[in-house]
Amino acid sequence: MSTFVIGLSLAALLFILAAGLVLVFGLLGVINLAHGAFYMLGAYVGYQIAAWTGNFWLALALAPVFVAAVAWIAERLTLSKLYDREHYLQFLLTFGLILVINELVRLVWGVGYLRVDAPVLLQGSVDFGTFQVSVYRLFVAFAGLAAAGGLYLVLEKTLIGTVVRAASANSAMVSCLGVNVRRIRSSVFAIGGGLAGFAGVIAAPMVPLSLDMGLIVIIDCFLVIIIGGMGSIRGAVLGAILIGMTRAYGQNFIPQFIDPLTFGVLVAVLLVRPSGIFGRKERMA
Amino acid sequence: MSEKLSFNLTFIVAAVAFLALVPSLGAGERAIYFLSLTLIWGLFAAAFDLSFGVTGLLSFGHAALLGVGAYVFSILTADYGVPWGIGLVAGAATSGLLGLLYGLISMRVGGLFFALVSLAAAELIHILISSTLRDITGGHDGFPAVPRPMIGSSWDFYDNTTFYYLILAIVFVSVLLLAILRSSPFGRLCQGVRLNPVRMTHIGFRIARIRSLALLVSGVFSGISGGLLASLMMFISPETLSWTTSGDVLIMTLLGGAGTLIGPILGALVFETMRDVLSDLTVHWYGLLGLAFILCTIHLPEGLMSLRPGRLLGRLFASRRASKGELETILEGESKWRE
Repeated sequence: MSTFVIGLSLAALLFILAAGLVLVFGLLGVINLAHGAFYMLGAYVGYQIAAWTGNFWLALALAPVFVAAVAWIAERLTLSKLYDREHYLQFLLTFGLILVINELVRLVWGVGYLRVDAPVLLQGSVDFGTFQVSVYRLFVAFAGLAAAGGLYLVLEKTLIGTVVRAASANSAMVSCLGVNVRRIRSSVFAIGGGLAGFAGVIAAPMVPLSLDMGLIVIIDCFLVIIIGGMGSIRGAVLGAILIGMTRAYGQNFIPQFIDPLTFGVLVAVLLVRPSGIFGRKERMA
Repeated sequence: MSEKLSFNLTFIVAAVAFLALVPSLGAGERAIYFLSLTLIWGLFAAAFDLSFGVTGLLSFGHAALLGVGAYVFSILTADYGVPWGIGLVAGAATSGLLGLLYGLISMRVGGLFFALVSLAAAELIHILISSTLRDITGGHDGFPAVPRPMIGSSWDFYDNTTFYYLILAIVFVSVLLLAILRSSPFGRLCQGVRLNPVRMTHIGFRIARIRSLALLVSGVFSGISGGLLASLMMFISPETLSWTTSGDVLIMTLLGGAGTLIGPILGALVFETMRDVLSDLTVHWYGLLGLAFILCTIHLPEGLMSLRPGRLLGRLFASRRASKGELETILEGESKWRE
């Protein structure tokens, strides 16, 4: 049962990350390779804020805003110049962003491992009689649930969400209706970055901070969006649960084959449904 | 982008003739080692371009094709005493098979998603080699004592200059084969698959087979460069398989000019020069490289090869310069047309 909660917390983290990727892909048609770098940046900035103020909650609130600002600047300066070119160029550009962000993080924080303590409120574990569950893992699982609920409400029930969905479907038409699509794109890219930063801060007390923390998670995250069906938030939920649980239970039973196992899940899904569980064929780039 | 075989061949022969003379021009040990390394990366980049620039398959997992070739070669020659040449061929064949496996992936996921899945596959192989199979591969510590060839008794390939000639010869033959392949009917088919896969299907070609074959060939030559790399360094580390290698070869290819044979090789030269010069100046050279790469995607997406002297001359002799206003009028018309 405690494995189940660990799986849920992994799934929550993966979902928050994948949601950012899916939002950006839906509207911009760009797969943001630098998403993992934003995640890492969020963790490091969160570490710094927590170190300065001693307050984890402040870090959780401010670091995503910082990362969103970085993402916004990156989009304005670089990505926005490439929208009418081939998609692979935008994709490669986000690869260049990784190199730059990695180097900046190395410049500021060095290459050593850093750690962040969970806030006092969330330390320790809850005893359910037959099994124990870390409070922080429960918190992460709920954060993922909250993020999923919040995203659903914003996308489905508000005007802004409707604009974003409409622009994903047909940005030229939405532009004709007088919406500044350019600004929506920048904002969505920033929000995607902010979500990654948020995931980074949340992950910080669970994993040691290092320069390659982004890559490890982002590959799972790519598996999630491909399994779920490209560009589908519902799919991201399902994919995140699948990969999170595979990782958690795999770690328990066959730790040395856990990576082949997660990749096996992807292969199995692709064999049955080539465009992912909730995928639509025409979404394929 | 059409390529002229004669242009490529002239360039290759001229470059190889020059490179063969370099040692006798009094180049130092360090320069020879640098050129050997550049030749190997150049071959790898040219192999990568067959899948990316020609066939349009953006693979982010080519590090595994290089690394698996290197490891198979190293293990066979060092642990099992297999002759050097046979080890190299076996490594290349294994990488070719892995390329074929990538071909299977490309049948299910297309476009940028192929890049993501090949990245995941390469990272999986990286993990397998660095930890799961550590008994055979030496794990994170790398694989030491990779041999150099023993041919006859008069040649000592542990001398870097002698080995340089062998590398030059192998890279020359490989690049020659790649040049011919690119201009062959098969090369045209690959171009067709990149430019319009739907139409190619409707004409009656099996694009999945063309893609798989292109990845196989790309894998074979990547494997050869992997084996050469291991033999040159006499050591191979699992770091070679990390995603940064896949990124490096992408940077080389785009920097030089994807879709051309010479561009990626030129890109490898520029990349290695930057690595050599910048890493002496600053430990943060990789970030600078990233910056250069970003600028390249925005301002020079067709790479250095699009800066051909002919074009520059053309610009010089153009009767007049178009004004910014004129050009913007054209752009406005264009964007109206699009919407």
